[in-house]
Amino acid sequence: MLPEFFEFYNPTKVVYEDGVATDLKPELDIIGIKKYFIVSDHIINDLGLVDKVSDGLAEIGFEVTDKYLDVAQDARLNDVKACADQIKASGAEGIISIGGGSVIDTAKAANILFSEGGDLVEDYSGAHTLTRPLKPHVVIPTTAGTGSEVTMVAVIYDEENKEKLVFVDKFLLPNLAVLDPQMTISLPQKMTAATGMDALTHAVEAYVGTQNAPISDAFAIGAIELIFKNLVTATKSGDDVEARGAMLIASTMAGIAFTHSMVGCIHGMAHATGGLYRVPHGVANAIFLPFGMEYNFEEIKEKLARLAIAMGEDTSGLPEEDAARLAIAAVRKLARQLNELDALPIRLRDVGVPEDGLEAIAEGAINDGSSFYNPRDMDEEELLPYIQNAY
Amino acid sequence: MGMFKTAEEFEKVIVGFFNLVADTPLIADKLLKSKMIIRFKYSDPDLIVVIDCSGDKAEVRPHDTDTKEIVEMTMSADIAHRFWFGMVNLTKALTRKEMVAKGPIPKVLKLLPAIKPSYAMYPQYLDANGFEQYNITKAYKPPTA
Repeated sequence: MLPEFFEFYNPTKVVYEDGVATDLKPELDIIGIKKYFIVSDHIINDLGLVDKVSDGLAEIGFEVTDKYLDVAQDARLNDVKACADQIKASGAEGIISIGGGSVIDTAKAANILFSEGGDLVEDYSGAHTLTRPLKPHVVIPTTAGTGSEVTMVAVIYDEENKEKLVFVDKFLLPNLAVLDPQMTISLPQKMTAATGMDALTHAVEAYVGTQNAPISDAFAIGAIELIFKNLVTATKSGDDVEARGAMLIASTMAGIAFTHSMVGCIHGMAHATGGLYRVPHGVANAIFLPFGMEYNFEEIKEKLARLAIAMGEDTSGLPEEDAARLAIAAVRKLARQLNELDALPIRLRDVGVPEDGLEAIAEGAINDGSSFYNPRDMDEEELLPYIQNAY
Repeated sequence: MGMFKTAEEFEKVIVGFFNLVADTPLIADKLLKSKMIIRFKYSDPDLIVVIDCSGDKAEVRPHDTDTKEIVEMTMSADIAHRFWFGMVNLTKALTRKEMVAKGPIPKVLKLLPAIKPSYAMYPQYLDANGFEQYNITKAYKPPTA
């Protein structure tokens, strides 16, 4: 059944090639500016990835005006302000962010202040508050999970008021996403597994959610196929360029899917678990993914039956319900394979969540914004057994 | 020209409804728990209404431009009207800028399940308070002379 309405908008140019991050002349010439400011973090810098890009830029005649490397694990409001001040002072005309979700989100939010000035929280937090394009932003992801290089969202933590600020705007979509497997080769095994499962959760929730639409469905299914074929290899053999590349592409495709179709109860549970017990987002999503699929089962079994095929399962001749259950089993099998590599926990008890904290997770999930897009109405009492099963 | 000819008429309809919602414990209790202060900025016709849930009782204050809001929602009176029938796809309204939400979006989304029961209340409220002509859920025939 077609949705009553959907919009598909993806102005971000995506380039993929092994090594392309050091040779961006054709893409940057089209953007038309010469002076870029780099946003990254110290880990990425210490791995030599920032220098790699900077040297490449110098070779093709572009100037790096300065760098901001102090992005914390969560993108923070004070970092955004400091970063924006530094960008302005450097005389840059655009931004290149090199990193994972926090780096990219910091750069997106800093670009608002860099381009428009004003007060980030007072003037711009919310949905679609911007009125014109920002300065050019080029993103080079170093993880394959967040998809932030193609989403219109930035999430920034306000330390002072202890709350997450969300910025949703078409003008936050970067100009260029550079997918270079060389930039993810050094990603540790556990990060590879968790971020990969994060991307899988984006794709599954986008596909089964209430806002799904035919175009984003295609991206979600494409992402799921790539993840099932490549995540274990990318985790086991980090220097496998093909698997790394496939995971980068999958993460981007999942990002395109969920920036249009949103996420649901799995993200709701993961957000609550992350907030209460500091469980990394990708790990929490990985743990909850099969249980969230089970919670929504009656509402989404037709879609799950289709996803089972994308996950590599043979569903021929099976009734819809059995085929749908194969999708959940496939997710469990993938998580178990990663768990056997010691790369991914699959139980809440293994990540420091106390047994008496499960009700708080259920309450947090119900109150999470993503519950609004979940295919089944969110009910705390009905959700709790699934969280208990994940324990 | 929108559905409401004057700001006074729209104010009567929307503020009356907000007051009804504020007096409905099923909804008001959840609103109060959120401690939210929302400023609605309507256009065509222009009207500002603040719903302040920061105290012991949800307060509805038209024309309040002094209270510092947590979230500001900007939309036309017609979109607001359709919203309270449950007829507005929020994602569509936001992406097409028929609604602009300024402030912490997760807090707004959290309120949506809480206000769901009000969708059924709105047409009943319109009929019960002499605003039948605005009830778009039934084919309305204007009175003849």
